[in-house]
Amino acid sequence: MRRWLGPLLGILLLGGIGVGIYFSAQEQNQVTQQQLLERRQVLARGVIGSEKEDFFRDAKVIEALRQRGLTVTVEKAGSRQIANLPTLEQYDFAFPAGLPGAEKIRRERRARSAYTPFFTPMVVASWRPIAEILERNGLARQADRYYFLNMKKLVDLMNAGKRWNDLDHNEAYAVGKSILISSTDVRKSNSAAMYLALFSFIVNGDAVVQSEEQICRIYPAFRDIFLRQGFTEYSSEAPFEDYQVMGMGKSPLVIIYESQFLQLAAQGRLRSEMVLLYPEPTIYTKHVLIAFTEAGQRLGEALETDPALRRLAVEYGFRNPDIVYFREFASQHQVPIADTLVNVVEPPTYEIIEMMIASIEASLDRNLSDPLAHCGQRNL
Amino acid sequence: MGRKIILGLLGLGLWLALLTGCGRSEPEATLKVLAGSELQDMAPVLRDLESTTGVRLAMEYTGSLDGAERLAGGEKVDLAWFSHGKYLTLLAGSRIAAQEKIMLSPVVLGVRESRARAWGWIDNPNLTWRDIAAKAASGELRYAMTDPASSNTGFTALIGLASAFSGRGEALQPEAIDAVALKSFFTGQALTAGSSGWLAERYVQEQDRLDGMINYESVLLGLNAGGQLREKLTLVYPREGIVTADYPLMLLNPAQRTAYQTVVDYLRQPDIQRRIMEQTLRRPAVAAVPPDGRFPDRLLVEAPFPGNRDVIDRLLFAYLDEQRRPGHALFVLDVSGSMKGEGIEQLKTALLNLAGADQSLSGRFARFRGRERITFLPFSSNVLPAQNFQVGDTATEGSDMRAIRQAVTALQVGGKTALFSALQRAYEIGGQAQVTEPNRYYSIVLMSDGQSNQGLSEAEFLQWHRNLPASTQNIRVFPVLFAEADDASMKRLAEATGGRVFDGRSESLSQVFKAIRGYQ
Repeated sequence: MRRWLGPLLGILLLGGIGVGIYFSAQEQNQVTQQQLLERRQVLARGVIGSEKEDFFRDAKVIEALRQRGLTVTVEKAGSRQIANLPTLEQYDFAFPAGLPGAEKIRRERRARSAYTPFFTPMVVASWRPIAEILERNGLARQADRYYFLNMKKLVDLMNAGKRWNDLDHNEAYAVGKSILISSTDVRKSNSAAMYLALFSFIVNGDAVVQSEEQICRIYPAFRDIFLRQGFTEYSSEAPFEDYQVMGMGKSPLVIIYESQFLQLAAQGRLRSEMVLLYPEPTIYTKHVLIAFTEAGQRLGEALETDPALRRLAVEYGFRNPDIVYFREFASQHQVPIADTLVNVVEPPTYEIIEMMIASIEASLDRNLSDPLAHCGQRNL
Repeated sequence: MGRKIILGLLGLGLWLALLTGCGRSEPEATLKVLAGSELQDMAPVLRDLESTTGVRLAMEYTGSLDGAERLAGGEKVDLAWFSHGKYLTLLAGSRIAAQEKIMLSPVVLGVRESRARAWGWIDNPNLTWRDIAAKAASGELRYAMTDPASSNTGFTALIGLASAFSGRGEALQPEAIDAVALKSFFTGQALTAGSSGWLAERYVQEQDRLDGMINYESVLLGLNAGGQLREKLTLVYPREGIVTADYPLMLLNPAQRTAYQTVVDYLRQPDIQRRIMEQTLRRPAVAAVPPDGRFPDRLLVEAPFPGNRDVIDRLLFAYLDEQRRPGHALFVLDVSGSMKGEGIEQLKTALLNLAGADQSLSGRFARFRGRERITFLPFSSNVLPAQNFQVGDTATEGSDMRAIRQAVTALQVGGKTALFSALQRAYEIGGQAQVTEPNRYYSIVLMSDGQSNQGLSEAEFLQWHRNLPASTQNIRVFPVLFAEADDASMKRLAEATGGRVFDGRSESLSQVFKAIRGYQ
């Protein structure tokens, strides 16, 4: 028996090697195609607002970029933090959320060019029972399955220090929490800065704040909507995650990007009691990519012009010129969205926003002095 | 010949196995992590993290305030992982390059079921913290809670309470702190500790003389499931809200971002989130995994957390100096001949630090507190005269701290070790003080570097101790192991009195005395 076992094993082994060589030769042809693409790849390193992280980590996005010769690696930070990073120009690109932060980068750094591949309106994520309480108190009106939120009336309640149990028909949420909208840390993140921009427009009598004198008139109201929230987090995904995980007890109203809500819906993770409130008026967050290198420029161009990437951006809930696909995508996932928003306001200039934020910053840190201390206290 | 080929094939196989690496022996990355001590229960998950991803977390456990202070001081670690990161963010926010929540556990009150039923607290949506404070003030609710300046559950509870009592429903401002309500709530605090784990252990031991405990929901649910309680704890979630620990994993060394992301991705995937929930009774931090049936399904109102460090520091100092039950701390101090040199120097430094010499944040919290009584009882061959101090002013250069420092500096060494006679004397002093001041929180620190060789024996002491009135007998002894101390005897003492042994050999006496402050 032993006598034939050895040669047999030898034959099997040789056969195996032969088969192996055959198959690997077959693969070789495909590999060379791939290798050519790999060799053309340009690496683009960037720092982005956290709301775009999932987009850049998506396998389809990675592939679409690769087809255009781009390998992208991203790190996330609060959008205002990005503007202040000392090492920012060592990246190929910065991709914060919001015009004010982008404006600061464009002025202070040697940017090659800027692109605005997508935008998204600011919305308020809430819960069905909360929306119904708001509606019964004349603060919201239902349209389709979403609501429009009367910001003027809500802001008046907030400024008057009202709580949820002060409202009528509050059985579903008779808690002693003050009526406030949860946001991120306005010192670090764009979504809170957009909220500040929107709030300042309303308390300024439906006008964009344009001067220090006007800021003085709305001081300290614009500061208190942040201070009264207490501890806030640095990036837009944290409060939205708290909304999903901790629910109505933590977050009855959270200001977020519409894209975050759509993205959640697209992943099939929207629960029936989660509802979208469109503030009236609202404000857009534009996502501006600032390129510092040629690789950054190539990415900016790809995101603006590549049809596949544009559709993928829609699948992450962002709006762009491809409005037809945006509508199709939203209805496909049964997310009712307000696709034409007429009542949209502009943010104040970078200097005005910065002055308001610096004042809020000073009230949280006793080592800083408040640039608006001379304004004095006023009640609106 | 056949055998040769078989052997040859075996050899080839072995070589191939070596070449491809059949087992992972060395991790691909090791991250140094400063972590809260309650995270020790994550060890099995972290082992699998390492075998799946190749990233090892080298955990160093410490108290949360201590950790926050070390990080603010610039200590070089890759990650930090505590039950919450808010205080650390306020203290050293610029050091945190990224943070992601890993799991959740609200800090709540567990009350013995019979009490909860009698008071109408079971499933009562209208129950408030004020109702609870009323029961504490009337003496009906005696509860265990950790020291807010040393442990996170006490800290979190204090924040939640202060916010509830402010009646404002928004972030606490200094002028809204209701000191009277807080003080009446704390009259019910019958047990304090520097660690939530030890607090839970003592609760099990002393469940018959306590009515409840403030701790993580996970710890309370674990006790209810564990079968050590004669009576289950009803978890109450008062209407004004509670504060939830969210265990953020924080990146401090940006160079380790890739490994950090690997760890976060692993820990936040649904399967692992489910496993963490099953094993630790903490709630998942991702929406994809809903909490299972063991968690009460109800609206959890989250109290806002202050956004300003000054408010928090003010709350902590007010708790220590004005609102908690004032303490009477007795220090039984060995000044026998063997303490000469290194021993007495370390001891003096440790006591001087508590009397104002340590200016660090944690040092200021550990300092002798306003309203506190301090007794130094030095001993050698004989028990030396006791020195008593009543602290009014906690300022470093105030007369009270100066007087204590003078007494410490004047300590002299020489003679034998009459340890148990000294301890007996400490109990006598404590017992007498209890007659006039029954509401103080009494404790004894016993520091010795050797075995008792003079006066009362251990057996004689324990015999005597058993015959003390219950309130005096319950004064806890916290022995410090140092040099040639008799470990077994010290452990028996701690056990007999419900205290805890501290190791003064692996840590400096300064660190040990600071840690013990959380138990006084």
